[in-house]
Amino acid sequence: MRLLELRCERFRNLDEVTLTPSPGATVAVGHNGAGKTNLLEALYYLATLKPLRASKLSELVRHGEASAKVTGRFLLSGAERELQVEIFEGSRAAYVDGKRAPSFDDYFGGVSVVAFTPDDLMVVKGSPEGRRAFLDRAVFNRFPAFLAESRAYAKALKSRNRLLKDQAPAAHLVAWDETLAKTGARLWTRRRALMGELQARAVEAFQRIGRTESGASFSYAPAKVELDFAAASEEALAQALQAALAARALRDLERGHTSVGPHVDDLELGLGGQSARAFASQGQARAIVLAWKVAEIENLHAASGVLPLLLLDDVSSELDPDRNAFLMAYLHDSGAQTLLTTTDPSLVKRAAGPQTVWLSVAGGKVTKGLP
Amino acid sequence: MTPDALNRLVAQLSKLPGIGEKTAQRLAFHVLRSPPEYARNLSQALLEVVDKVRLCPRCFSLTDGPTDQPCGFCTDTRRDDKVLCVVEGIADELAIERTREFRGRYHVLHGVLSPLEGVGPDQLRIRELLVRLESGAIDEVIVATNPDVEGEATALYLVRLLRPMGIKVTRLAQGIPMGGDLEYADQATLARALAARRDLEPRVRVR
Repeated sequence: MRLLELRCERFRNLDEVTLTPSPGATVAVGHNGAGKTNLLEALYYLATLKPLRASKLSELVRHGEASAKVTGRFLLSGAERELQVEIFEGSRAAYVDGKRAPSFDDYFGGVSVVAFTPDDLMVVKGSPEGRRAFLDRAVFNRFPAFLAESRAYAKALKSRNRLLKDQAPAAHLVAWDETLAKTGARLWTRRRALMGELQARAVEAFQRIGRTESGASFSYAPAKVELDFAAASEEALAQALQAALAARALRDLERGHTSVGPHVDDLELGLGGQSARAFASQGQARAIVLAWKVAEIENLHAASGVLPLLLLDDVSSELDPDRNAFLMAYLHDSGAQTLLTTTDPSLVKRAAGPQTVWLSVAGGKVTKGLP
Repeated sequence: MTPDALNRLVAQLSKLPGIGEKTAQRLAFHVLRSPPEYARNLSQALLEVVDKVRLCPRCFSLTDGPTDQPCGFCTDTRRDDKVLCVVEGIADELAIERTREFRGRYHVLHGVLSPLEGVGPDQLRIRELLVRLESGAIDEVIVATNPDVEGEATALYLVRLLRPMGIKVTRLAQGIPMGGDLEYADQATLARALAARRDLEPRVRVR
């Protein structure tokens, strides 16, 4: 998979721009707030239909404009395809080769990206919510169907929470318990499948990054539910979740929200047998995230035979020199197509090569060459 | 200045779903250019539909029969009284009817459970369904709600309500569309179809 051309129209603060990225590293250099990350987000949104930072779709549209458009020409398994996404009135439409994509499957066929942002580096010490989002991005990158599945779960969850707040009769609530349990069990199996593939790779990548005696661990299991998570079938998971929902129905009714299910679980990150959240140093915590990202890239490569497109948003300035050197050497050796943003070009020069395309971003304007 | 009468027609037409201002104008001009009988027939058809068509008091499908009389589906003596198909809306009923495979009766819920839109069991024709089932003539209820989150929850709600009454409750199968290619089926459908796969054993065994 390769990105041949990227065009942004009315996206965030960016002036209309058409770019020809390098098959290797493309580096966008600019000051904070210049629009580097917007460029990265445009590409991320095009490839995943999920915003990288925005909480509302309307934030992706340039101020005062009605719609925004991002178009990418990709080389996918030897064929050239054009993907396009248009954002207007708080919703979006996705097109493949100029035709409206009938389903997510059609749209996502073959394109995969892994993004790495300063927010990711905060994940170890941050909230469970942040770790869930971090985990789910990886699940989605591996299993695109997860997007629709997690939406179904979110809808069932919102519906049940509304019934709890409205003190709805038990007969009505139970019907939603079962719906929530079925959609929730699906999310559990997806997260379990991803962890099964990723765990060993991440542990191994952490050793390679080095400079830490103790090993890292990565694990995930549903919270507040009694079951043999590793072995349970999807149906058994649904039954366990339904039983847990029933057992907590009174408490949930009192509090007006659902207290068990995939939306309250946590990704457990460990270091030397202890909780990394509590005991890892800042540098070790970042190495854990770095190891996860490397594992994600290698896992996608192993699963589909295709290296994902890598998007790195000003990560180098947040890593210490040794770990940054590891990352840059890794990017250089992996041969993956990469889009990096940075405020300081010297930080990423080890990832650069003769093919590297340098871009300058200032005030939403993207130009070729170093500033 | 366009005449007020024309403006009024355009304004009314543009209230229709899927019709914008421009299309409304085109339709209005079409009516104006057509022979006057067309407009008279159209207005008469519009009035008739609101004056004569109402909901069947038994299945809540549409009917234009005499007031308080059940509809054609309910009175057709060739249909099977023992099987009842529960659908979300009239469009779904018509879709099933087009197959000509189903010869039982219908019951239209007029919606699905949707807490986010304030729709609970009381807003649907569920109480009326229970009254119908109490008559005892019905052996099987086929729940034909859509396979989305709300449709599933509605089906599960009905199952819990009807099973204790000793009625067989079934759900439409989900899977690969007929005449469809596996390669074009979406992942969710394929996964469901795989989970609900069936034996290829011949139904009648040679002894």
